[in-house]
Amino acid sequence: MTFWDKMQKVDRRILYVILVVFVCTGLFIPVKIPVEPDPSSKDFYATVMAIPEGSTVLVQTDWTNSTRGESMGHFENLMRLLMSQKLKFVFYSAADPVAPQVARTVITRINAERKAEGLYVYQVGKDYLDLGYFANAEATNTNMGTDLRQAWANRTSKVPEGGEVDIFKTDVLKDIRKIGDCKMMVVVTASASIDIAIQRLANKVPITAMVTGVTGPGVLPFYQSGQVKGIAIGLKGVYDTEYLMANGINISNGDERPKVTWAKTSSVDKVAEGKTFARGNQYYGTLHVALVLLILAVILGNVGMFMSRRATRKGGE
Amino acid sequence: MNNTIFLLAQNTENFWRKLPGQGLVIWVVIGLLLGIALLFAFTQVPSNLRRWIIVGFTFLAGLPYVLAYLWPKPIGADLQNDVPRNLSEQIGFTINQAIDPVGKITNVLQAFLLGVGIFSLVRVHITKVRRKSENWGFSTVLLVCFALMTTVGFMDWRQRKFMDDNGLLNEPSNWGFFQYANDLMFEGMYQQMDSAMFSMIAFFILSAAYRAFRIRSVEATVMMASALILMLNLMGALTYAWGTGIESLVVQTGNPFFMNFKLNVMADWLRSTMQIPAIRAIDFGVFLGALAMGLRLWLGLEKGGVSS
Amino acid sequence: MFNWLQGEQYLDTGWIGIAVTLMVVTFILVNIRRANKNADSLFIRRISGLNAIDDAIGRATEMGRPVLMVPGIGVLDAISVQAINIFAQVTKTAAQFATPVRICCANAPVFAVAQEVIRDVYTQQGVGDKFTPETVQFISDQQFAFAAGVSGIIHREKVAATFLLGAFYAESLIFAETSNAIGAIQVAGSTQSTQTPFFIAACDYVLIGDEFYAASAYLTRQPVLVGSLVGQDWAKIVIAGMVIFGTLFGSYEMTGMTTEHRTDNQGVSSMTPVEAGPDGTVTPERVKKSDTMVNRFFNPYTPEELVTIEREKKPAEPEAETGGGGE
Repeated sequence: MTFWDKMQKVDRRILYVILVVFVCTGLFIPVKIPVEPDPSSKDFYATVMAIPEGSTVLVQTDWTNSTRGESMGHFENLMRLLMSQKLKFVFYSAADPVAPQVARTVITRINAERKAEGLYVYQVGKDYLDLGYFANAEATNTNMGTDLRQAWANRTSKVPEGGEVDIFKTDVLKDIRKIGDCKMMVVVTASASIDIAIQRLANKVPITAMVTGVTGPGVLPFYQSGQVKGIAIGLKGVYDTEYLMANGINISNGDERPKVTWAKTSSVDKVAEGKTFARGNQYYGTLHVALVLLILAVILGNVGMFMSRRATRKGGE
Repeated sequence: MNNTIFLLAQNTENFWRKLPGQGLVIWVVIGLLLGIALLFAFTQVPSNLRRWIIVGFTFLAGLPYVLAYLWPKPIGADLQNDVPRNLSEQIGFTINQAIDPVGKITNVLQAFLLGVGIFSLVRVHITKVRRKSENWGFSTVLLVCFALMTTVGFMDWRQRKFMDDNGLLNEPSNWGFFQYANDLMFEGMYQQMDSAMFSMIAFFILSAAYRAFRIRSVEATVMMASALILMLNLMGALTYAWGTGIESLVVQTGNPFFMNFKLNVMADWLRSTMQIPAIRAIDFGVFLGALAMGLRLWLGLEKGGVSS
Repeated sequence: MFNWLQGEQYLDTGWIGIAVTLMVVTFILVNIRRANKNADSLFIRRISGLNAIDDAIGRATEMGRPVLMVPGIGVLDAISVQAINIFAQVTKTAAQFATPVRICCANAPVFAVAQEVIRDVYTQQGVGDKFTPETVQFISDQQFAFAAGVSGIIHREKVAATFLLGAFYAESLIFAETSNAIGAIQVAGSTQSTQTPFFIAACDYVLIGDEFYAASAYLTRQPVLVGSLVGQDWAKIVIAGMVIFGTLFGSYEMTGMTTEHRTDNQGVSSMTPVEAGPDGTVTPERVKKSDTMVNRFFNPYTPEELVTIEREKKPAEPEAETGGGGE
């Protein structure tokens, strides 16, 4: 058996050990890498930044800890963006009963981060609402599109003054009569719940999405057709959003050329306050390492196949 | 605590919803009696008629959605506060108001069926433990964890919901046994195991890439080349460096055609011209299939399988 | 004349979408009728993944090991129902050879339906006693707890064949690679186009896209299913024609010039004139994608006067008590 034959039958555990070592190393070296954000990420950022201050945004959070490598970065960025833009928001899940709890944990952490920076801390019942989990995404989204007040009837929320009030009496939803009164709906997901939201609600409220790398390609047809206004896809999308929050679009620092240029819009500001580079920055280097490893594995596998074929042919002659 | 929120209290009255009070209780009682009577009636139905009952119920359950799709929806109407202007709008209001209760009925049914699922799970594993079948130890672990998580989760929810008016339990320093136990089991164990299972996919992808991604034909070579461009484009550092190189080449040669060879431009082209149309074409087929399937089920046209 | 029938979904070109849907429905129903009259006249091509079913069951029978089936992790919808229909056919063959079957469900309603259907299949084959609680199992409704549970069954029971058909997400590769590791024959198919590549990399046979829906027609040759499949194909031909027409007509429209562009804001459409230059002259601009008639087919033009309707308000009712109000 030649070396290349052995390479063809390499024990998969060896590959696994190599992966663990390289990926873990990457995690300890966060580097600010210059990027060219994807058009879908730029559209996402521009759409959020165009919403007037004080408006209400719907956040459907359908991710859990399993995809936290991507989705947690997305959700943290979304919270930082909404809070820095002083937008009110309602969050709920239509896909997983665990999702609201995971989202709560992130909001608590972002609030603590803002408190440490001396920024305004978001309060439940005043600046945002926590509606928990709705079973059956199809029915939930259909009902929301037909009559939002009926779909969320009798839901109450704790308020900063103490006690509980009907959610439609809180500052967040008091002016919202139908779903179209909300300026945007963001779906943070790792599954097809975004497809259901598009099918049921795309013609009723502008939809944007923050999805995992695997789910992304399935949503792109809806982005191309304009049914989704913008998408941040996978870990690259997390880093893109952070890069855009820090640099804006077509914004130049003095005489310097803008770091992000885009012909589609005039200019979109950087975020006014709070942290920009965070989880995406921490993980993006690792993505580079993992991809290099994957490409090497594919190349080695192919070289091995050719060499062992050649050896067989020579042996046969 | 106001009990009306547990009695299907509705904030506006319409054909499908009643306001709280004596009227509501009477409706609930009538509904319950009607349900029980129907249940007994169904058990007496000869088996050749049962199929038609199922077909009838399926048709009725789907009807509001079909009508809401087809019947003109009152333009810009506030379904709760507006008065319909004519008969067409009145019908439109009623149909659209029916969507919410029908959706909620399916949720109630699903909750009952979850009970059926849990019963199956527990029965399979209790039988294994009782018979001491192979690997019965795992079944014991499952049953113990199931009981523990349910108890701890319920007690924690109960204490937070009903015994903590001032939100003291949001601070870990005020936690009691059930909060610590819930945190350990849910955040400390379950969530981490969930992430671990997902992370394993990285290993599977690596071994699948090593084993399956081979250039055996022209098609495979084309696919490999496009996959390589998309993977390289995910690496921001490389894309940026490559792009800067291309830009300086354009400046040197004065030929903007080279801009097409930036990694992100090539990747965007592949995505928007190759990948998206292919996915869209597959989606057309899938959704047409789903429509046909839905139509056959709704009209009771299928025989055998689920419909029998 | 039809003013009283004016509805939100019919505004401007809104009726086109509904007309196309009704056309598809008609195609399906007409072909089901045709098939009922003369089923043999309709032809379905071979699907290699489905031909493999008998081989897979034969192999499992020889080895004396079970066949594993997973209807995905989706809710009870057309996809899961279709998966269960296919599994009912597979189970029918397996029951004839007394090959054990394991169906693992991640959704309680899907489990309840699968249990009833599969029990019926066993009873119809006269081997009702072979149906055990292990035949159809509910594992967990949490994605990765389910993935772990099913992987455990694959390893412990050394299944000979796996059928992964339905709505799968990230767990698809876990199942496929685990089955691959123990050398099981795998037939897979997902309606999620993003998961199909993973199945192709790791499984022996894969049903792509709507082949999944064609499967039960292919297996049973029931006139209703075959007719419905032909109806879907008619619809696909019409859609392909519309795509070609739309591409050509839209491209032609975009070669033109205009002095006003369409804008949409919160469901209200309007035409915005092109800004005049410093000397007051308006230079026509190239027609944008959003200005074209092809775009309007899918995005009705709904100006303010069309979507604003004044209605009388209901008299204010005494407010219903909602929530505790801090009591």
